[in-house]
Amino acid sequence: MSKRNKTFMVKANEFVFSFDQEEIDKADFIKKNPAEFNLIKDNRSVNAKLLESDIAGKNLKIEVDGETFELVIKDELDQRLDSMGFSSTSTKHIKEIKAPMPGLVLEVAVKEGQEVKEGERILILEAMKMENSIMIHTTAIIKRIAVTPGQAVDKGQVLVELE
Amino acid sequence: MKKILVANRGEIALRIMRTIRKMGIKSVAVYSDADRHSPHVLFADEAVCLGPAPSSQSYLNGDKIIAFCKELGVDGIHPGYGFLSENAEFAQKVTDAGIEFIGPTPEAMRIMGSKLAAKESVKKYNIPMVPGIDRAIDDVNLAIEIADKIGYPVLIKASAGGGGKGMRIVEKADDMQEQMERAISEAKSSFGDGSVFLEKYVTSPRHIEVQVVADKYGNVIHGLERECSIQRRHQKVIEETPSAIVTPEMREKIGDAAVMVAKSCNYVSTGTVEFLVDDKLNFYFLEMNTRLQVEHPVSEMIIGLDLVEQQIRIARGEKLGITQDDIKPNGHAIELRVYAEDPLNNFLPSIGTLTKYEKPTGEGIRVDDGYEEGMTIPIYYDPMIAKLVVHGKTRTEAIQKMLQAIKEYKIEGVATTLPFGTFVFEHDAFFSGKFDTHFVKNYYTPEKIKAKQKANAEIAAIVAIKYWQERKRMLIPVEHKSTSWKRRLAH
Repeated sequence: MSKRNKTFMVKANEFVFSFDQEEIDKADFIKKNPAEFNLIKDNRSVNAKLLESDIAGKNLKIEVDGETFELVIKDELDQRLDSMGFSSTSTKHIKEIKAPMPGLVLEVAVKEGQEVKEGERILILEAMKMENSIMIHTTAIIKRIAVTPGQAVDKGQVLVELE
Repeated sequence: MKKILVANRGEIALRIMRTIRKMGIKSVAVYSDADRHSPHVLFADEAVCLGPAPSSQSYLNGDKIIAFCKELGVDGIHPGYGFLSENAEFAQKVTDAGIEFIGPTPEAMRIMGSKLAAKESVKKYNIPMVPGIDRAIDDVNLAIEIADKIGYPVLIKASAGGGGKGMRIVEKADDMQEQMERAISEAKSSFGDGSVFLEKYVTSPRHIEVQVVADKYGNVIHGLERECSIQRRHQKVIEETPSAIVTPEMREKIGDAAVMVAKSCNYVSTGTVEFLVDDKLNFYFLEMNTRLQVEHPVSEMIIGLDLVEQQIRIARGEKLGITQDDIKPNGHAIELRVYAEDPLNNFLPSIGTLTKYEKPTGEGIRVDDGYEEGMTIPIYYDPMIAKLVVHGKTRTEAIQKMLQAIKEYKIEGVATTLPFGTFVFEHDAFFSGKFDTHFVKNYYTPEKIKAKQKANAEIAAIVAIKYWQERKRMLIPVEHKSTSWKRRLAH
């Protein structure tokens, strides 16, 4: 194996960071007790608390400043394994309109096969007593309507499919 | 009064029942199919199911509620806020059924429930008002015509609405048709009345309201003001009392005005008179909320009264035990409404299961909530999880206590307005007290919360690596028993 600088990739909730060993060594870090730490970074003194960890210590839950982060550490080997895996990003674009929030479908304003123009209302979604017009931002033909009035939908659920 | 039914759900139902129990009275909960597990149902002495989850088939079914009251020998109904709380017809039916409605008279609700009747009622008291039309309409074309006369921006308000529901600002004539249609439809489905009201939208406004308490004998006092200018989607998120800008002179003037508004409709029970305050501290009467207000806890904290207890005492015919002179502000109180909404995604509802739910505790910290860990936030109702309320000797102390309490409030599984609260309470404009209802528009961007989260995430990441490396060092003797991978790498 080639001798390179150790690089770590860490996922913390939706954020991803990379560090080399030098950066980690330089960090001003103290351990108050087995589960509590303090780090001074950019002159900010921050306390952190370990909430959970797996046996290897690579999947952790750490609280910083009241926020909880779920962390996954990947060392060089893990990253290499990942890159050998099937991480092919298939760019298959399904044209569809998804629910931006969970709610109840109040009214569907279009029919299958109908041509709709940008800015036209597709349906009305009610969430938390607010009515929201779901508009289309392109010109297209409605291929299929996947919901019916009165139906509860989850966030991300397909509302209509477009040709 | 021996048994009170609380015609509501969630945190407010639970909060009301706590006072009911404190007063030695039995409580009856109502619930929908979606709320069987709710704390208010578990807390109550008795509970009855109203029906399916949608409010129209459960919490808004007044006839069913009254029927249950008769069956269970209930002698008082507390409506909470929202749902049937400002429905005069329901209050009338309750009264006609020989049950005490814990709130104002149907007549006072009718007057103040219609913004037009309310304006008519307070006219003779010379209370200043915002320019607008003096009748409710449900005609889109007429609305466009009137809006042109008043001048944009125009505010559309549901005649029967309240609490920001059914309110829309229209910036330009092009949007009027769509917005008006939506407002009418929303008003119809939420309040059963599609008529709306148009008025000039005052720029740089503050929203300040006054708590009033009135008994059945014409005694009316006010319980100081609440500053409610921090809003998103025209709905309050943060409230505090006293207001940072109200002077003792203004407090007296706005308080007197509120008392007069209450007197104009022979108001009984607790109520709230809302005012719009401009940058020169002129105040305009907006409306009166004829119910217990969501943000009533901040007032309770600084005037030392249990407002629900006052409501019950008044309902059973007791005279007010206090006078205006007894109302003195003690310290400062702030409330943050914790909504299941994502402040990083335009405050859209964030529905899910509360996989973790831990409340902050301590002196001067009050959490009014209606959820427990493991519960799911239903899509059918208002997405409020809790009200986090703190009390401090000074405003600064209260702000600091709030920031600490937010840190200790652990909610996982849904996004909440907690990070938004931190953003506001750390913001200079909030700290200085110089802000209006446009605070969110003027200062708030999700990027600022994101940047802070990222900084904290990076710290967590460094700590994680430090921890892992130390652990690895300790584990080496065990782990080094050559795994197949190790062997492969060695060759």
